[in-house]
Amino acid sequence: MRYRAAVALSDEQKAKFLGDVPLFAGISAESMSRLAAVAGEQDFTAGQFIVRQGQVGTGLYVIVDGSVQVVRGADDVLATLTAGDFFGELSVIDQQPRNASVQAAQPTTVLAVASWDLLALLEQDPALSLNLIKGLVVRVRAAGEQHRH
Amino acid sequence: MAELSERPFPPGDYPVVVVGSGPGGIQASYYLRHLGIDHAVISADPVPGGMFRRFPFFQRLLSWTKPYGPVPRDDRFYYWYDWNSLLAEEPENRALMPDLMDGTSSFPSRPEMELNLATFVERTGLKIRYDTSWESTSREGERFVLHTSDGDYRCQVAIFAVGVAKPYKPDTPGFDLVAHYVDTRPAATYAGKRLFIVGKENSGFELATGLLQWAQRIVLASPRPAKLSVNSHSLAGIRARYVLPVEDEILGGGVFFLNASIARIERMGDSLRVYCVRSDTGMEIAVDADEVIAATGFTCPLQDLQSIGVDVFGRSELPAMTNYWESATVPGIYFAGTIGQGVSGMKKYGLPANSGAVHGARYNARTMVYHVAKQHFGVDVPQPSVLPNSLVDLLLAEATHAPELWNQKSYLARAFSLDPAQGIRDSGVVPLAQFVDEEGAAGVAIAVETDDTGDIHPAVYVRRENKPAVETLLSSQAMHDFRTADNRAQLSEILRGATAGAVR
Amino acid sequence: MAMSQQELIDTLSGLALFADLSRPQVEAVAHKMAEESYPTGQRILRQGFTGTGFYVIVDGEVAVKIDGNEISRLGKGDFFGEMSVLLGEPPVADIVTTRQLRVLHLGGPELEGFLRDYPPVMLRMLKAVATRLRNANRWRS
Repeated sequence: MRYRAAVALSDEQKAKFLGDVPLFAGISAESMSRLAAVAGEQDFTAGQFIVRQGQVGTGLYVIVDGSVQVVRGADDVLATLTAGDFFGELSVIDQQPRNASVQAAQPTTVLAVASWDLLALLEQDPALSLNLIKGLVVRVRAAGEQHRH
Repeated sequence: MAELSERPFPPGDYPVVVVGSGPGGIQASYYLRHLGIDHAVISADPVPGGMFRRFPFFQRLLSWTKPYGPVPRDDRFYYWYDWNSLLAEEPENRALMPDLMDGTSSFPSRPEMELNLATFVERTGLKIRYDTSWESTSREGERFVLHTSDGDYRCQVAIFAVGVAKPYKPDTPGFDLVAHYVDTRPAATYAGKRLFIVGKENSGFELATGLLQWAQRIVLASPRPAKLSVNSHSLAGIRARYVLPVEDEILGGGVFFLNASIARIERMGDSLRVYCVRSDTGMEIAVDADEVIAATGFTCPLQDLQSIGVDVFGRSELPAMTNYWESATVPGIYFAGTIGQGVSGMKKYGLPANSGAVHGARYNARTMVYHVAKQHFGVDVPQPSVLPNSLVDLLLAEATHAPELWNQKSYLARAFSLDPAQGIRDSGVVPLAQFVDEEGAAGVAIAVETDDTGDIHPAVYVRRENKPAVETLLSSQAMHDFRTADNRAQLSEILRGATAGAVR
Repeated sequence: MAMSQQELIDTLSGLALFADLSRPQVEAVAHKMAEESYPTGQRILRQGFTGTGFYVIVDGEVAVKIDGNEISRLGKGDFFGEMSVLLGEPPVADIVTTRQLRVLHLGGPELEGFLRDYPPVMLRMLKAVATRLRNANRWRS
C-alpha cells in the first residue's frame, strides 16, 4: 500500500495496517481500535531524523511506507528498516535515552504511538506484552550470539 | 521374655541402619541384604506396610497392577504393568500383588496393598525390629547415633524411609479448630453436613469423592484452580477417578470450588465460619460449614535431623538431597521411599517423575543402595561386558521394555560405559541427571521421555570423557516399539562417532 | 534452611519480579510453581537440552556458563529459563549451582499462561529483558 503524504489515514486504515504487523498479532479487538485511535501519522522527507541518539524516548514507531536507516554515532549504519518494521520500543519500556538515531532514507510515513499510550496498552493487553517480550528475547539471543563470534 | 529375645536387631553397632517398614524401608533392606551388607531395620510400627496401613481412606490405590500383561509375571519386564509389587531378583518373590487382588479392579484396595507388603517381607524372610521408635539423633565422630525407645543404634550410614505422613496444617488462625485429613471419620458420620475442604490436591478430592453422596454441600478451597492429570499428561494433578466432584461442580450438584486463601476460621455456635480471600479480586468471602477438613498435606517426620545439619526445604520439609538421595549437607544420611520425590532430576517440561509413588521409589531405592554399597563399603556390582555390535539393539530394547525407564521417565536411565581400555560395560540403572552432569568416563545412557505434546520417545545421552553429556532425541513409534530402522540408523551413527567406529 | 510457608510468601513478595502482586496473588503463584532444591555443582539449565522450564531463585546462587566459561552469576530474586521457553529453543548456556539452591520452577508449557494470568509479572519481565537487551548493546532505539 502506498500512501501519498497529503492523504491522512483513517482509523480503520490504520487498524488494518497495524493488524498485519507481527508485534500486534493476537491483540484484542478493543486494544486494536484503541491503538489505531492513538497512533499518529507522521511524514518525513529523505534525510530527516525521526529520532536522535541520546534523546529521551517519547514513543514507538511503525513504518507505513518508505525506509529508514538506523545509525549509531556519525555514520555507523546498523540496519535499514522498511514498511511493517518498528523501532523505538526499548526506550518506551526502560525510559533510557535512544541508543541510535533513525533517519529517513526516502520520503517515509510512520505511525507513532506515544510512550504513555503504549504502556497503558501493555498493561491491559497481555497478548501485546507477550509479543513484545518474545520480540526482545529473539534480539537478546541474537546479540548474545554476536558476542560469541 | 522369650518374645523379646526373638526380636531382631537389638540396639548396638551396625554398618547401616534403615528406619521405616513401609515400601521404601523394605525395598532398601532387600537390596542391602542382596549385596551382603550387614544392616538393622527398625520401625515404630507393629507390622509392615507404612502409610498403606491407614491410607487411602476411600477408594482404592491410584497405582495399578494389571493381572493380564504381555509378559509373564515373574519377568523383570512385568513390573511395567505392576506398580505395586516390590522388586526382587528371585522370580518367585516378584509380582506378589496380582495374586492378592480380588479381581474386581486393576487398582488394589488398601488392605490388599498392605497384605502385598507383608507378604513380601514374609516370603523374602526380611527381618524388621518393630515397635522401636526413632526419637532423636546425634553424631559421634564418623558415626550416627539413633536414639530409640529401645536404646541406641550406632551406624556409618543411616537410611530414613519414614514417609511424608506427618499431618501439616497452616498456622493461620482457626486451624486448631479444624480436623486434618488423617482424622477423617467414616463417611456416614458426614451425612447431611455442609463440608468445607481446604486443599484441592488429590487428598482433598479423595475426600470430596468419598463424601459426595453424604455431604449436603462440599466446598473445596485453595489459592489456585485444580489441575487434572489427564490435562497435564502426567500423574501430577487430580487423578481421573477423583474427577466426579469436578463434574458435579460443573453441573451445579452441590460442589463448589473456591480459588482463595484462608484468612481465618472462627466458631459460630455449632458451625464454623471460614473467611477466605479470593485470588482473583482480593475480596474477602465468608463461608459457613458444619465440618472443615484441612487436606493441607503432610511434612516429613525427620525428628531432629536438622539439628545435626540435614537441610530441608519446601512445604513438605523434604530433605535437600543429591542425585543419589543422600542428604546434600550430611554425607552418610540417605533417604528411601516417598521422600525421594525431593530429588527433582531433569523434570523436563515441568513433569515430575514417580519418585513419590511405590513404582518409582522402588527403583530409586535399588539404585541408592547400589551407590551406598560402592561408596561406603567398597561393594561393586559387576558390570558385564557388552559386544560392540549388540549395543545399539540392547539400548533400543531397553528403551522399549525396561520398566525402570518407563516408570521413571527422564529420571532413571540405562547406562553403558564406553571406556576404550575396558570395552563396553553395562553400568546398570543410573540417575539421569547425575549421568548428564558428572564429567566422568565416556559413556552412553538411554532414557524414555515425554514432551509437552505427550509424545513418548527415547532420548540418548552420550558423554565424552570428562565432558558433560550431549542429548539426542530419537523417534517415537505408535505402539511404543522403538526398535525402528530409523532409530537404529540414528543410534548407530551417534555411537560410531562416540566409539571411534567400534560400534556401528 | 527450613522456611515456613509464610516466610516463603514474605521472601517472594520482596522479589522485584513479584513486587506488583498482592499478597493473595503471591500465595497463588507460590502454589502454582514447584519448590525445588538442588545441591552444589548441579546443572539446572543445560546447553542444547530440550524441556527447559522457568526458574526463580529463592535462595542460593548459580553461575551462567557458555562452553565451560563463566559469564555471570545469578542470585536470590533472579530468574532464568524464560528465554529458551519463549523462543522454543534449547538454552545456549549452562546454569550451574555454585552452592545449594532453592528455586520455584514452572514447567515451560505453563509459562505463557502464567504470564497472561499475572500481567504485572510479565511487565516486570519485559523490563528485565529490555535491560538485558540494552546491555547487550543492540542497535534498536
